Amino acid sequence: MTKLFSFVRLLINYHGGHVVIRLALAGHNQSNRPFYRIVAAYNKRARDGKYLEQLGTYDPLPNIYNEKLVSFNFDRIKYWIGCGAHPTKPVAKLLGLSGFFPLHPMTITEAERRRAQAEQTETSTAAAAEGVEEGQQQAEV
Amino acid sequence: MAAVSAARCLVRSYSRAKNVQRSKQMLVRCSTRTFCSGTQDDALPDKTKPQFTDPDVQDILTRITGMDVQKVFRPIKQELKPPTYKLMTDGQLKEALEAATEQAKKLLQMPPVLPERRPIDDVLSEDKILDGMDTAKYVFTDITYNIPHRERFIVVREPNGILRKATWDERDRLTQVYFPKEGRKLTPPLIFKEEKLKMVFSQDRHEDVLDLCQVQFEPDSSEYTRVHTATYEDLDKHGKYELLRSTRHFGGMAWYLVNARRVDGLVVDMLKRELLQDAVSLVSLFHMVHPHSESAQEAASQQATGTDLLKIYAQKESQRSGYIELALQAYELTAEKSSAA
Repeated sequence: MTKLFSFVRLLINYHGGHVVIRLALAGHNQSNRPFYRIVAAYNKRARDGKYLEQLGTYDPLPNIYNEKLVSFNFDRIKYWIGCGAHPTKPVAKLLGLSGFFPLHPMTITEAERRRAQAEQTETSTAAAAEGVEEGQQQAEV
Repeated sequence: MAAVSAARCLVRSYSRAKNVQRSKQMLVRCSTRTFCSGTQDDALPDKTKPQFTDPDVQDILTRITGMDVQKVFRPIKQELKPPTYKLMTDGQLKEALEAATEQAKKLLQMPPVLPERRPIDDVLSEDKILDGMDTAKYVFTDITYNIPHRERFIVVREPNGILRKATWDERDRLTQVYFPKEGRKLTPPLIFKEEKLKMVFSQDRHEDVLDLCQVQFEPDSSEYTRVHTATYEDLDKHGKYELLRSTRHFGGMAWYLVNARRVDGLVVDMLKRELLQDAVSLVSLFHMVHPHSESAQEAASQQATGTDLLKIYAQKESQRSGYIELALQAYELTAEKSSAA
């Protein structure tokens, strides 16, 4: 329910609003370079607007060591989940990958889909390579 | 008059150095903090072997480091400020000098010597169903504020689905990303490569290299040990012990040489500079660390002290015994002359 107790300054009265833990875009002045803050905010607020607390960061572009850096303040995440915050799908996926939550089913589904795609491309390239070889053999003959 | 002016310039440089050295003190404090947590991990089979941290060993090492206050507070490159002059009574001057010696003692605090850390290769979970989920690794860091960096959770999810703990290099790098320490870089500076180290040693800048290494690496990392070993080896080869005397790295160098049983060069250097007491304490430290060597047993049986200890060491253990005996004789001659005159 609404956390009015902790905010005396602004009497925002969200009708049926709740707290969510979600990704908010940061550094809006750069195009093609996203960077997310993992944030506890009210559901009704703008995505990049005022939040209650920042709980971490997520950098979707890999660095020179081919790593995507994610940071979580687990202590405070536990607090907000204890207060009844809902994590959104991408945050739940990240927490599942980190081992804090159990694995999200969509992560598994995505991995399976990627594998199927990779196999398909492999077989298609193999078929294309075989076709090219046959063509070459026929040309030689 | 000369003494007063010398003391005055000392106080001046001390007050200037105080502000700059604060960050260095913090670093020393941080390194001593990790040092305290590191000793608990040591599990040596024989507890009788003296460690770097023993009070006797530390006492000897501080004594042979010396306290050349002029060198400790020598001018460092900092912002150009006009000097401040203070009018003091004699009593105040004495207090200021005492404060300066206290500060010098803190600056000369020895950085820790720890055994190399064991590599981490802990796998938390193997989820083969996630194989091929992404082309990049995910690195998760716990940024809770009140945990020591050694106990932080830093895990890596590989593209083949394995969830493992991060290696020491990754840990150091990520701790620097999220909790940056002053002076530390994300990629180690190029000065620590082999060729560059040689160039720097030829310019006699061992102390700067060791200070940089202190800031950049953790005391039990392999890079730290490698750089320190290379520095000490070079110093031993060229006999440039004077560069490190009265700095905080001298104790570490003496400890390394004692453990490698190559104290001859250092003893000879001390005798050349007429530091007999230092030489004697160094040899006694050697006997403490290697109690089963011939010279140690001989000294224990004869209960030798002073020059006799040095003579026993020269006969039994050292390779340059002739040099040590010559130097001893020269020292005794000068001592007789000064006592006769």
